Amino acid sequence: MRAPLAARAYRLAPSLLMGALLVWLVAIPLAFLVLASLRPTGFPLDAGLTFDHYAEVYGSPGLWRLIGNSVVFALGSVAIALLLGGGLAWLVERTDLPGAGAVRALVILPMATPPLLMAIGWSMLLSPRAGALNLLLRDLLGLAEPPFNAYSMPAMVFVQGLSLTATAFLFLAPAFRNMDPSLEEAALASGASGWMLARRVLVPLLSPALLAAAVFLLIVGFVVFEIPGTLGMPARIFVLSSQLFYLASEAPGGLPLYGQVSALATLLLVVLLGFGLLYRRLTREAARFRTVTGKGFRPRRMALGAWRWPALGFACAYFLLAVGMPVGMLAWMSLMPYQVPPSVAALALATLENHRDFLDSPRVFEAAANTMLVAAVSATAVAILATLIAWFVVRLRVPGAAVLDALAFMPVAIPGVMMGVALIYVYLTLDPIIAIYGTVWILVVAYTTDYLSFGTRATGGVMAQLHPELEEAGRTSGAGASRVLRRITLPLMWPAIAAVWIWVLAHAMRELSIALMLQGRDNRVATTLLWDWWQGGEPTRAAAVGVWLVGALLVVMVAWQLLGSRLRRGSG
Amino acid sequence: MLRIRGLVKRYDRTRADAFAVRDVALDVGAGEFFTLLGPSGCGKTTTLRCVAGLETPDEGEIRIGESVVFSGAQGRVMPVARRDIAMVFQSYAIWPHMTVAANVRFPLEAIGIRGAAAERRVAEALEMVGLGAFRDRPAPLLSGGQQQRVALARAIVKGASLLLLDEPLSNLDARLREQMRVELRDLQRRVGTTFVYVTHDQEEALALSDRVAVMRDGRVVEMGSPHDLYLRPRTAFAARFVGQADLLACTAARPEGGLLLLHTALGPVLSACFPDAPGPRLSLLVRPEHIEFAEEAASGPNLVAGRIARTVFSGRLVEYVVALDSGASLRVQGTSGRLRAEGDAVRLRLPPERCVVVEGLPEDAE
Repeated sequence: MRAPLAARAYRLAPSLLMGALLVWLVAIPLAFLVLASLRPTGFPLDAGLTFDHYAEVYGSPGLWRLIGNSVVFALGSVAIALLLGGGLAWLVERTDLPGAGAVRALVILPMATPPLLMAIGWSMLLSPRAGALNLLLRDLLGLAEPPFNAYSMPAMVFVQGLSLTATAFLFLAPAFRNMDPSLEEAALASGASGWMLARRVLVPLLSPALLAAAVFLLIVGFVVFEIPGTLGMPARIFVLSSQLFYLASEAPGGLPLYGQVSALATLLLVVLLGFGLLYRRLTREAARFRTVTGKGFRPRRMALGAWRWPALGFACAYFLLAVGMPVGMLAWMSLMPYQVPPSVAALALATLENHRDFLDSPRVFEAAANTMLVAAVSATAVAILATLIAWFVVRLRVPGAAVLDALAFMPVAIPGVMMGVALIYVYLTLDPIIAIYGTVWILVVAYTTDYLSFGTRATGGVMAQLHPELEEAGRTSGAGASRVLRRITLPLMWPAIAAVWIWVLAHAMRELSIALMLQGRDNRVATTLLWDWWQGGEPTRAAAVGVWLVGALLVVMVAWQLLGSRLRRGSG
Repeated sequence: MLRIRGLVKRYDRTRADAFAVRDVALDVGAGEFFTLLGPSGCGKTTTLRCVAGLETPDEGEIRIGESVVFSGAQGRVMPVARRDIAMVFQSYAIWPHMTVAANVRFPLEAIGIRGAAAERRVAEALEMVGLGAFRDRPAPLLSGGQQQRVALARAIVKGASLLLLDEPLSNLDARLREQMRVELRDLQRRVGTTFVYVTHDQEEALALSDRVAVMRDGRVVEMGSPHDLYLRPRTAFAARFVGQADLLACTAARPEGGLLLLHTALGPVLSACFPDAPGPRLSLLVRPEHIEFAEEAASGPNLVAGRIARTVFSGRLVEYVVALDSGASLRVQGTSGRLRAEGDAVRLRLPPERCVVVEGLPEDAE
């Protein structure tokens, strides 16, 4: 017995509409990218077919160095992040660290510090000629040369590692927290020593979370542009993402080498999608072996004894390195007329000129307004789409749900620069029909696509925890689909949707690489303004923008944190 | 009140043999307390959800009162919201973002009853389940039993003529479950609504229902009053599912004075309770509590001798496993009034009126 045609169309409509939208947002740009790599001109809809770009890129003598740099950069920074983030998570969740609650709350601080600002702050501290910390250490230790160089691979790895630590913490803390202590107690009762407990019980239990975090961070390590762009490019140390940027916007000939960009991007895309699939599989496994039992329990906390204060020192050192020093340096520089290392004598030079300039300039006002507009609209779009996709995929299980889910997940593996280039292709080609190229709306499209993967993960997770009978009870009470959605599903999902909104808002506000690639007539945002001033030799003005950006992000992050704690209370 | 014909639901549309429900037909009368009983995966919940409209069957017809809510032949599916039903879920599904009163008021809002009329009915429904004092309590701050009552109040408030209950007591602890069982039965008598109840707990089914349908592998195996199902089941499966039972393969020898003489592993047994036209695969059903310990000197039919092989003492009752001289063994239930020790020689009497011949071999009941 087949359902009548109308009923079948009705059943397929959500899949088809959402599928078309996702194909438009995700698949078409990627297809254009691949197509462009095969065109002699590097433009997807031009005539001709060639493998020259591939030959150029993959035959180039610098390719192996590029790949080597990228791998060292990604692996190195992920190793640092897992070590620091894992250490912090363990201290906060499983030991009697003094002030563990405060540390947990403060972990959001580094997330309010955009990687770009962290890089700029550290370059002000460690630049070989004028770096404040370098000069200080040189004078203190009586060295002939400044000890550090911000424009080097070790510095890039160090700063990127610091910037990923908060994410690593957020991944690992729940795993530490949710580990049922009875599993550890069973091991201890079987006569296991502390070392055996760690090796045979704790590490295997944590390994799914650890592996998932590592793969996710590796993706980020290959995708990020801000730190390699700020600290690597001046010394001509390139990784894949900065090489893409370089080819697309600062190539020697002056013209963007789109063909080569696409050829290089295609390789990266394949690798990253592989990682993306691995990540999805790992998180699915992790969900299957979830250690949460649903019963309330207090995890065993290890007594640190004499190590309590050194441990707290470690946590403080992390905050100092990740936030205190770079942001403090930015704040200091924003008060200086030119780049002066901090000293009591230099205080006499302090001026609000940069901030006044920042507040008065119409250019700045426009950038700030654009930032807020783009961030707010993208956040709203992601929140709505992510909720709908989660509803279709998790709850309604519409036909083709797996395809929708995969399409929505793909953007996590697309570097910002690549997304930028792909959207240039799409909207330059379509400019006569959809004239958003060079406007804020192309940024909205880009951010909506880019953050959709985070959004659907978050809403899908919450939707899966929502017992389907809650909605079924609404339907059997006589309520139609829209009333059930309005009165039951949305109110119950609301905290998760709001959290997604705020997360996307914060990330869209601090995003640089997409905004740079898509920079046009009138879509300058705060981060591109900052980049221009920094690259244009006006570090103190850039610092002033940075301070205001950190302030705005801090407000958003605190809102997120408050919402999160309300959500935990509500469900607890 | 509820009429189901030829109901078929496949759990995998691409496979022809993947049945969740196959060819189920039921009639439930107005005001009846009707129970679908069976092991997990037997299709009882799927059947209930098809009636509610939460799942769409593949074939068949479902009629609630006068309205056809599903007809495979006509391609007709009435939306859940328009069906004259209410439902109580296994998880209670109390909306945590609403108060008790708001939970109960919701079905009234959905059908457009507001204001004082709605408040009066909410108060009545809460009064009926004994939660009058809890109306402004936020729903998450209720105990399991209280949530269960809110779910009931929410189900009865709009006065639907068919109430569907999906294992509503299975999440409660044993003592509360017994108490709620009594209240549920009382509630059904007072509101007079037709109840269709799903459970895997045979005691619950027998204690609550006017009629019970035993399901297995998507089909209704047997249907009847609790009394008939327990004392005169027709099938080996239902006999074992509704209570403790010893089943012994048997063959019908000949009628003897209104009784049926059987050949069994115990020797010849007379049964007063047998099918009109016995098939080839038959079993003798004897329930442990129906077997009597006979005096040494007793004589008559259905007497067997053996030794007590094992005893399990559980206070009020004592369960014996008796190894019979014929090599078979029987479970016998006694009270703690007179205790017997392992190794004691005993004689047992199987009352012919409690020796029931059922269709199917003992292994068919697994």
